[in-house]
Amino acid sequence: MSAKTGVRDEFPPGTDRLAQLIARSALGDRGAFAELYRSASAKLFAVSLRIVRERPLAEEALQDSFVNIWNHASDYARAKSAPMTWMTAIVRNRSLDIIRRTREEPDIDEELTANLADERASPAREAQERAEAHRLQRCLGELDAEQRQTIALAFFHGLSHSELANHLRRPLGTVKTHVRRGLMKLKDCLMRAETTASQGTLDAPPFL
Amino acid sequence: MRRLSSDAAHALAAEYVLGTLRGRARHRFEALARADRHLGDVLRLWEEELTPWAERIAPIEPPARVWHAIESRISPASSRVSRLASDSFWRGFALISGGLASVLLAAFLWLSGGARDEALFVAVLSSPDAVPRMVVSMHEPDFMRVRMVKPWSGTEGKSLELWVLPASGAPRSLGLVPNASGDTLIRVATTDARVQGISALAISLEPVGGSPSGLPTGPVLCSGVVAPVKKA
Repeated sequence: MSAKTGVRDEFPPGTDRLAQLIARSALGDRGAFAELYRSASAKLFAVSLRIVRERPLAEEALQDSFVNIWNHASDYARAKSAPMTWMTAIVRNRSLDIIRRTREEPDIDEELTANLADERASPAREAQERAEAHRLQRCLGELDAEQRQTIALAFFHGLSHSELANHLRRPLGTVKTHVRRGLMKLKDCLMRAETTASQGTLDAPPFL
Repeated sequence: MRRLSSDAAHALAAEYVLGTLRGRARHRFEALARADRHLGDVLRLWEEELTPWAERIAPIEPPARVWHAIESRISPASSRVSRLASDSFWRGFALISGGLASVLLAAFLWLSGGARDEALFVAVLSSPDAVPRMVVSMHEPDFMRVRMVKPWSGTEGKSLELWVLPASGAPRSLGLVPNASGDTLIRVATTDARVQGISALAISLEPVGGSPSGLPTGPVLCSGVVAPVKKA
């Protein structure tokens, strides 16, 4: 390749801009890390705020998460996930840690919860994430309304089993069952979708 | 270690990612998933399936003080202390910190090395504790000289991989470098796309044979900014 074709052709296939920024951060490039923060922080802040619900706590979660991302950027090359997925998982984990420490009573924004289904998806940065989110949406549609609501409350607001039971005014055992069965139904649907996708258009017998 | 059944592994991983697995159970599962590759794979599967759901949340701009706090926590000074203390200095040092001192040192080391041929650019690669380890120089028409000043001990069973950081985009590998004193010549043309617009060079510790992913996976052993010597 000649020098004139530019550097973009040189990147390993499948890596996009965020993945490049993470790789450069792994080598100590603070400029790339600053750009990574500028690109992803607003999304991640919103994810955390939903769970911890107080801005100072979400700021703490975001700060800790990005320090973590900087310190473990070289792990990303092995993680093989989409960059936003990798970073969102870090932020969600930190946020859940923080509410374990601080939250006594769940405090759900009723309107937010009621509108959960109407929220507009923001344009996903990654085709991979878009495809996965799409598949997930379809499979969530196969769940009972109550299972879906329970799982969505847990995911977006970080509610524990007992917080879910209080909020939904359901016995704890019922809530646990909804979560467990809902997730397993989701798994079956996702695996089915995966198998179909990997087999292309041929009607090969499912091996699962 | 006792193996979880596939159903149990999926049930735990799903509730971990969902967030309903709490308290000690959560921490225990985390530790198990780190130790057991199969369980780790199941966990990643659920992370990849559920986490993109968060894309539905509209972004909210965080206040500027968050970035300032992050910047101060990853500053070279604080990271150097904590990293040396914890004996695992994964990156966390600024490429810029060497700055002018590195350039002068490069010129000095280069001239004292008795080299007569002029280099296009020179870089001194220093470890996180600011000890110069290598001097790298690019020569016309087609070679890069890697002079090891101070090899590492305790890197048996690992390879040293040389990376270039272009002005933008992902790091690019220039191949492996032996961990021994003296010069290594890497054949690379000055017109090679990999050495155009370089801002810095770095060495990472990788599995034998180099990074399996094509991007650095191990700790950065040393790095340094590139100083142009002669106009190409």
